[in-house]
Amino acid sequence: MKRSTQIGLGAAGVLLVATVWSMTGEDPPENLVYNSLSECQTSGTLSREQCETAFSEAAAARLKDAPKFRNQNECEAQYGASGCSSASVGGAQYFIPALAGFMLARGLSGGPAQAQPLLPPTTAACPPGSAQPECQQARSSSSGGSGGTSGRSSSSSRAYSTTSGRAFSAASGATIARASTSSTSVSSRGGFGSFSRSFSSSSSS
Amino acid sequence: MRRVTLPPRPDWTQQVERLGFAFHTIDGETYWDESAAFAFTLEEIERDIEAPSEAIEQLCFAFIEKALASEETLTKLAIPAEHWDYIRESWQRGERNLYGRLDLAYDGRGPAKLLEYNADTPTALFESSVVQWDWLEQAMARGTIPHGSDQFNSLHERLIAAFKALREPSPYRLHLTCVEGSAEDKGTVDYLTDCALQAGLDARFTYIEELGLLSDGRFCDGANQPIETLFKLYPWEWMFREQYGKALAGSRCQFIEPPWKALLSNKGLLACLWEMEPGHPNLLPAFFEGDPRCATLSPRHVRKPLYSREGANVTLIERGKVLDSDDGPYGAEGHVLQDAALNLFSEDGKYAVLGSWLVASQPCGLCLREDASPITKNTSRFLPHYIEP
Repeated sequence: MKRSTQIGLGAAGVLLVATVWSMTGEDPPENLVYNSLSECQTSGTLSREQCETAFSEAAAARLKDAPKFRNQNECEAQYGASGCSSASVGGAQYFIPALAGFMLARGLSGGPAQAQPLLPPTTAACPPGSAQPECQQARSSSSGGSGGTSGRSSSSSRAYSTTSGRAFSAASGATIARASTSSTSVSSRGGFGSFSRSFSSSSSS
Repeated sequence: MRRVTLPPRPDWTQQVERLGFAFHTIDGETYWDESAAFAFTLEEIERDIEAPSEAIEQLCFAFIEKALASEETLTKLAIPAEHWDYIRESWQRGERNLYGRLDLAYDGRGPAKLLEYNADTPTALFESSVVQWDWLEQAMARGTIPHGSDQFNSLHERLIAAFKALREPSPYRLHLTCVEGSAEDKGTVDYLTDCALQAGLDARFTYIEELGLLSDGRFCDGANQPIETLFKLYPWEWMFREQYGKALAGSRCQFIEPPWKALLSNKGLLACLWEMEPGHPNLLPAFFEGDPRCATLSPRHVRKPLYSREGANVTLIERGKVLDSDDGPYGAEGHVLQDAALNLFSEDGKYAVLGSWLVASQPCGLCLREDASPITKNTSRFLPHYIEP
């Protein structure tokens, strides 16, 4: 046979748009992070169907795996004033942290991405009244449950927690490199690309 | 080799878009065209395309060895002298290359003839590797082409394997870049990013306009991350001449394609190869403009700028009369004249050029582009191919 036996396109979450780094300082894998279904669909990295699949996987996993509280106060003590919603799980009423976003983690083998739910940051990471902008943003974005942040917050990161309680922050919706730890400084920018501006045709062939 | 008219898939737009193919239509004109396909025999593929492609690549390597030792040749190729050592060092270090596309004239009769080598910034990659592969599977499933058909196309797995081996130790951190504002270029780089990720690399995209220079001489991306390895869909001849050209040698950056590819993506290559191997079955007679031997060319020949892409500024001449030309901004660095190929595929006023893909210098794929003129331009349509069972 003269052709490939299979084409794994995008072991889907493989096309990266976001960088995740751990608040514990460990070097994490890179992932796709979206705050909502619509943000995933408008970003264009994944198809609409892939976004829907990922979103439903994450939503189902949230119901199954998120911490469950018998009353709203207990939940809000950990996830913030607007960080919880009620849910019926196995016939019983609970309060569980809202779905603040979802993440597609790249498998180490480059295998298909697994969608994971993202919850609001816990008060351990973002104490009440915290002035950290990512805490503010995460809180406000989680207030509508799975709702509607739109556009690309390309310059800011948000705080989340996972169903297992691990805290981390992620930039969503755009290519953001991990914060540089280098002490060298940028001495100039934009020294390539001038020819492409003066040539009307493509730079490729 | 036959051109076969076929019914397009009724839902072809959705089918190609589901793969993430964003530029199937360019400026309102169809680019991906499955209303016909080219059918080959396995013998045609292996004897007439694959084997000659490998032979031409070997000849190109021999040419680089000679050219790097010859100031005269480097001057003829219009390579700026301040970058000669930089190019020599990249060759001597054995910097590996990722991919290239040999454009061939072939119509099923006689040996394929090299028209040019897109060695530095070839596109049409994603549609070659993925879209036509998927078309083949669906066309067989829908009975449009015979079951048991095949395709000369192992690009995808070869690209992933090549990315792994481009640098040691692997996996390594790879940046990929292209200019802002070209859907075709961005689509190509997005696909290569995907391949790099599947190779396990730490791959990051940044636009070339965002590149910066750090105080220690290294390049950095838009987020100030230092760049160690850079895939650039941006031609060397421009990089050499731009502001950061001076910073290349001190950047400690491994480029893909490597600097030595600048000698091959240059149309002067055509004259140099003919000089080395006059009469080679896969070469057309070619000379630098101004060489007295141009008088020995056939009355029907082509004038090509040393640097040109997408057919820009290429002129087809017959007995001193211009038959076809494409306007463009190139040509200041000089031209080569090359005999017009006699076996360029043509049928009913359509012309097709074959693109023979090399990944890590191994032939492994084919694409065809068709146009209403003998000069393949950036308006040409992409047609799929299959190997008959």
